[in-house]
Amino acid sequence: MYNPIKIRVENLTFSYHKTPIFENVSLDFEAQTITAITGPSGRGKSTFLSILNRLWESQPVARMQGKVWIYLDGQWIDIYSRTLSKPDLRRKVGMVFQTPNPLPMSIYKNMAFPLKLTGMADKALVEAKITRALEQAFLWDEVKDRLNDSALGLSGGQQQRLCIARALVSQPEILLLDEPTSSLDTGAASVIEDLLVSLKERCTLIVVSHYLEQVSRIADTALKLKAREFRQV
Amino acid sequence: MKIRILGGCLRMFSWGAVLLLTGSVLVLLGYLLVKGVPSLGRELIFGQVDVLDAVLLRKRVFDGLFPAIAGTLSVVLLSVGLAIPVGVCAGIYMSEFATVLQQRVFGLMFDILAGIPSIVIGLFGFSGAIFIHKYVSNDFRPCMAVSVVALAFLVLPYITRTTQASLQGLSIQIRQAALALGATRVQNIFYVLLPQSFSGILSGIILAIGRCAEDTAVIMLTGVVATAGIPGSLLGSYEALPFYIYYISSQYTDSAELMSGYGAAIILLGVCAILFLLAFIIKRQLAGPAGPEPGRFYV
Amino acid sequence: MTRITQKAARIVFFFSAAASAMAAALVFGFLLVFGFPLIGGGEFFSLLTRRWSPGQGLYGFLPMITGTAAISVLSIVFAFPLSLGTVCFMGGLGPAWISRLLDGFVRFMTGIPTVIYGFLGIFLLVPFVRTLFTSAGSGMCILSASLMLSLLVSPTMIIFFKDGFDSVDFRYIQAADALGADNVQRLIYVILPGAWPGIVTGVIMGLGRAMGDTLIALMIAGNAVHVPGSILDSTRTLTAHIALVSASDYESLAFKSIFACGLTLYVLNALAVIAVRRLGRKRGPV
Repeated sequence: MYNPIKIRVENLTFSYHKTPIFENVSLDFEAQTITAITGPSGRGKSTFLSILNRLWESQPVARMQGKVWIYLDGQWIDIYSRTLSKPDLRRKVGMVFQTPNPLPMSIYKNMAFPLKLTGMADKALVEAKITRALEQAFLWDEVKDRLNDSALGLSGGQQQRLCIARALVSQPEILLLDEPTSSLDTGAASVIEDLLVSLKERCTLIVVSHYLEQVSRIADTALKLKAREFRQV
Repeated sequence: MKIRILGGCLRMFSWGAVLLLTGSVLVLLGYLLVKGVPSLGRELIFGQVDVLDAVLLRKRVFDGLFPAIAGTLSVVLLSVGLAIPVGVCAGIYMSEFATVLQQRVFGLMFDILAGIPSIVIGLFGFSGAIFIHKYVSNDFRPCMAVSVVALAFLVLPYITRTTQASLQGLSIQIRQAALALGATRVQNIFYVLLPQSFSGILSGIILAIGRCAEDTAVIMLTGVVATAGIPGSLLGSYEALPFYIYYISSQYTDSAELMSGYGAAIILLGVCAILFLLAFIIKRQLAGPAGPEPGRFYV
Repeated sequence: MTRITQKAARIVFFFSAAASAMAAALVFGFLLVFGFPLIGGGEFFSLLTRRWSPGQGLYGFLPMITGTAAISVLSIVFAFPLSLGTVCFMGGLGPAWISRLLDGFVRFMTGIPTVIYGFLGIFLLVPFVRTLFTSAGSGMCILSASLMLSLLVSPTMIIFFKDGFDSVDFRYIQAADALGADNVQRLIYVILPGAWPGIVTGVIMGLGRAMGDTLIALMIAGNAVHVPGSILDSTRTLTAHIALVSASDYESLAFKSIFACGLTLYVLNALAVIAVRRLGRKRGPV
């Protein structure tokens, strides 16, 4: 099955504290697929994701060379150029973290937060987007009656689905997930796995995971990060 | 959009605050340097007396800062010397042996002590001197000994707190290593824990030294005077640098004396700033030059 | 090491801690005992409201209380925006390299002795105020003292504010960044709400420091003994009052009254400490 390329990484060289993490890596990611990234821990899998949404730039001791292109709105954009601001980039490229990080607010406010950042005032529109995102994240039925409860009161699996829903509310075209199920039990994990597969039709997903079975279950492509290079498996 | 305007205002406001703060301080310090640097030199400290003669106490210095500097030095060393053993032992107890209730109660008392205005501590020292004068010896009056004890009260909380914090900050691996090999708790403290937290404790001591050196209110009430020469005995009066600055500001008789005030201010500022920065640098070293782990995006 | 040395060491440690804790109580005790003639017999509260006029047997320190209050509050009014603005700058509104320099500069500022602020105040600030506001008399007034005091307490407030900022759970910041918040939005929606206890603590600590300072008020507030009417009036604080009166005969009632002053300052400080500890307790363990 042929899918158009969504993300292109060219000649990426990245070092942190003078320790090289990636050397001359070039990769393509197909649209509407799930690509898994595996490999030994601490070698840079999370760092790779952060390169795709420029989150690593908060750390001053890292250095990067190379280009990252993303196909958005009918054209290729170099995400490190000034064409796209970092906040705007992050609305197109969402991220979900290993440990769920809901903000200390109600479920509704968590979901509305990304929309508040863009200044969206139309309440009906906001509610519609929130409902749709929660449905896409398989969470709507469970929280629809308690949207004003604190998000911190949800179970681990629910919090993680909330974080995914919250990332989805801006309708990103790419979703990056860093070990999304490693802090959850197997039941919750499998719900999330089904959820990720269902999201393929809306986004391109890149999932970091060290569970090889999970990778074989959900991924279309798998890349192993070893010795500063990626290898297809 | 409303948020854009608010954001812009906030940005301007924070820039304004930073510029105003740093600007004011730099203007003050600049003025101090401009006025005071010309008077810096051998004469400022030793007057007309030869350096060697002054330091070896062969001749008295009447018109230089040397007695004040010597006074400050003596009082600081003695009071910190008094406070260190008590403070470090108290910090060890708080970190290693105290129960939760004791930590709460003692901690509260330490915090209260730390917050007492220095003039009140000076008043306490003075009342102690009156007490001894009345009930022990009629010759006793506010003197260096009283200042030393009062200043020790002033800086005790600094030393206790930093000792406690440094010890508590040690990792569990370090704490258990020696114990697992058969050391007793006290042996663990002396052979492992204290050496490991040495830099933290040292930074607390340097902070205490700085605090003692700059204090004026305590010594004003407990024995410092404008002219006394080199501190002769613990039971006598003495001079000190910060008091000299205060005294000169209202009692200067000619421009030369005023200039010496500026010079003294520069010396005091230099000493205190260096001490505080030193303490901070040492504390920073404690946090480890390792840096954050990769994968954690935020410093 | 023998059992006895173990026990001895532990006893030494305990006594050091207990003695240090007793220190605060000892100070209180001495103040109480020495001020007793005026405090016993219910005199204390009248002292808080009377004027100071030793010649007429009036040892009240109401003017000094208002003096302390006026100078402290005004200095916080100046220092709060300065400090908050600076910390917001360091929290992302300004470039990182300037923030690092700023951090070092603020640390440096904590080492500036108050007597130097007082000294520079006399020769630089006071003449300036004198020429700017003709009704300020000699220029030694509440305004001058508050301006200098605000510079003194700003580093303290900045450090506590910054602690509050840093204590915000980094996962919230991480979430805000990943969702596309820019620096201003992150500051307003995530950091400031979370840093609130740190900000309140900073204000209390700053106020405490301002109330407890002696030299600045002594040198540039004028030391007139009356209840001030405007910020251009000269005034005397409790701390300066203690310093000035202590030079007089220590058997006199005038002198004994300053112990009551000391007690007032002591109690105010203790209240502030308790308030801050309560706040800290709300957030988490000590």
